[in-house]
Amino acid sequence: MDRRLSDRLHPLRNPLSSEAEAFRFLVVVIVGALLIAGAAKLDVYAGVAAAVAAVAGIAWYLRH
Amino acid sequence: MAAHAHAEHHEHHGPPAPHYSSRVPPGVLGMFLFIGTEIMLFGSFFTAYFFVRVVNGTPWPTPPFHLPVFVAFVNTCILVTSSFTMHWALQSIKRGNVWGLRAGLLLTFLMGLTFLVTQGREYSRVGFAPKDGGFATIFYCLTGLHGAHVFVGLSILLFMTIRAFRGHFSAEHHHGVEIGGIYWHFVDVMWIVVYLTVYIL
Repeated sequence: MDRRLSDRLHPLRNPLSSEAEAFRFLVVVIVGALLIAGAAKLDVYAGVAAAVAAVAGIAWYLRH
Repeated sequence: MAAHAHAEHHEHHGPPAPHYSSRVPPGVLGMFLFIGTEIMLFGSFFTAYFFVRVVNGTPWPTPPFHLPVFVAFVNTCILVTSSFTMHWALQSIKRGNVWGLRAGLLLTFLMGLTFLVTQGREYSRVGFAPKDGGFATIFYCLTGLHGAHVFVGLSILLFMTIRAFRGHFSAEHHHGVEIGGIYWHFVDVMWIVVYLTVYIL
């Protein structure tokens, strides 16, 4: 079987592969949400910037 | 060797064992694909939100309306806590603690129900209806779509809780709780995204 695509995708963490993994992902999202809420308290645009940073951070988490 | 293979051939009945090409078990893969379609569904609603708020420049919330941010915050805390009790329930049954599973599932169900009832109460007090402009429509669509998912999650939780009290799960067999747990955490993650976009930003 040609597994080239599967092997290339392998480094990406699947946050739904198990309940424990989904829970870990939820905790990461909560941390990101706290950062966004804190920044949005100061200014809406700071909140948007924090949201972009949080999405990047979550993407990094899924890659590692 | 040949005699052993011959005996094995005679012992096997029914169709051959299925061959799985995926590394993920079929049940989990099914839930994974289902959640993939759900993310696309929520994505379409968030696109509508983006167009109403950013492209059209609709004030958020549109005066004279106000969003009940504090009630939504308390509701968020309840839903997040319910994910922790869900995780505790699964960890309990993995260790063979049936009462931990039962207590965890029951608490999760009650907290999910509290979330849904509070959201319904919020709708009756918020002071605007879906027909009151783009802001109101998107507010009801996003929170209502999520509420529908909580309802589905509660139905799954109810079945899981009944099965737990009937003794259907053990340290070796708890796949039904695992799948339901994944769905519940997904619903929780989606609420955090909805809460941030609708109430905070």
